[in-house]
Amino acid sequence: MRDAYQEQLDELADGLAGMCDEVAAAMQKATRSLLEIDLQLAEEVISEDVRVDDLRAAAEEKAFALLALQAPVATDLRTVVSAIHGAGDIERMGDLALHVAQAARRRHPHPVLPEEVAPYFAEMGRVGVELARKAGQVIRTRDLAQAAQLESDDDAMDDLHRHMFTVLMDRNWSHGVGPAVDITLLARFYERYADHAVAVARRIVYVVTGQMPGPLTV
Amino acid sequence: MSADPLPKQLADLAELLGQMCLAAAGALNNATAALLDSRVRLAKQVVAGDAAIDALRARVEEIAVDALLFHAPVAGNLRAVVSAIRSAGDIERMGDLALHVAQVVCMRHPHPAVPAEVRDHFSEMNRIAVQLAMKAADVVRSRNVIKAVELEADDDAMDRLHAHMFSVLMDQDWPHGVPAAVDITLLARYYERFADHAVVVARETVYAVTGQEPDAIPI
Repeated sequence: MRDAYQEQLDELADGLAGMCDEVAAAMQKATRSLLEIDLQLAEEVISEDVRVDDLRAAAEEKAFALLALQAPVATDLRTVVSAIHGAGDIERMGDLALHVAQAARRRHPHPVLPEEVAPYFAEMGRVGVELARKAGQVIRTRDLAQAAQLESDDDAMDDLHRHMFTVLMDRNWSHGVGPAVDITLLARFYERYADHAVAVARRIVYVVTGQMPGPLTV
Repeated sequence: MSADPLPKQLADLAELLGQMCLAAAGALNNATAALLDSRVRLAKQVVAGDAAIDALRARVEEIAVDALLFHAPVAGNLRAVVSAIRSAGDIERMGDLALHVAQVVCMRHPHPAVPAEVRDHFSEMNRIAVQLAMKAADVVRSRNVIKAVELEADDDAMDRLHAHMFSVLMDQDWPHGVPAAVDITLLARYYERFADHAVVVARETVYAVTGQEPDAIPI
């Protein structure tokens, strides 16, 4: 009986980690669609978002079944509650990748990004995808050192995000208001994506230690 | 340590969630007043007040986890507890978005953050968002499923305003330059997200009461 229970808990963790991999792949593709002006890739991301939504629904069903049938306590209860939060965060990451792809589709065949800002978005994409993958690993391994690493990766994202605004606010910005509006929103999508990944890792820290590492911003 | 009976815990959760919605509504309303009239002191009050919403959220989670631990609720009661946990996250986020509006006011002070011609837009977005939060408060307290569906229509009005704001910015004749457009883009997004979260809170209640997503219910 207890073994079946442990198996259910493991399945729940696997489901969430799988969601992280899924939204990492989505953001990677969305970023490529943005940088390479690839409509088909953007469409793929948009149509595949339901997969993330389905995974979330499956994870929540598992969490409910665990709560209803096993009435977990202590660490296991924290695990299940954190899984419910985590599923919400990761689904939102999928939505944000979707928003990036939608921006690429909306402006197609024109590029959304002027050439000089494209490298920043390539970097934000790289950092974001890395954060999502690491969040998935933290869910699998419960490695607190790795969870802490996500925080410093997120600092890199925040720096990039801030830097984008400096570029937009500069007097020498020559691309006008339209692209500036697009870039403002896109930069925010990446920054929020990273925040949610960090929130997922923080909840794992909470599961393991019983304490939240610093204030939660998500 | 002993816990309250489950019905008391569920009533407390509903009451706290209602309080959180009203606190978020108040925060956004004040942040908007600060935005429209460059009232930096009021903006700072909103920033300082966010901790109270965070504390309410922590209290909701505490009661919810106690409910799971001591009563192992099933079926509708289990849904009510889990949806309280999720709703508290959404409402806390509404508070954060109000905080972000207030932070823009502080950052731009003593200059106004938005030019005169978009004031009415923000005033209207605020009206809809605050109304949505107050309706969400009503829904979580009364568990009125019919009322919950109303929020979706209000949110459509927000989406139209949000879309319209972009057409104003993208207009060739936009005279206020890129920095103002960047601020307005983010501000408009904060209101739109605030409204979205209020709708999610109402949907959570529908789910808690009926066990179904609102789309599956023929009302």
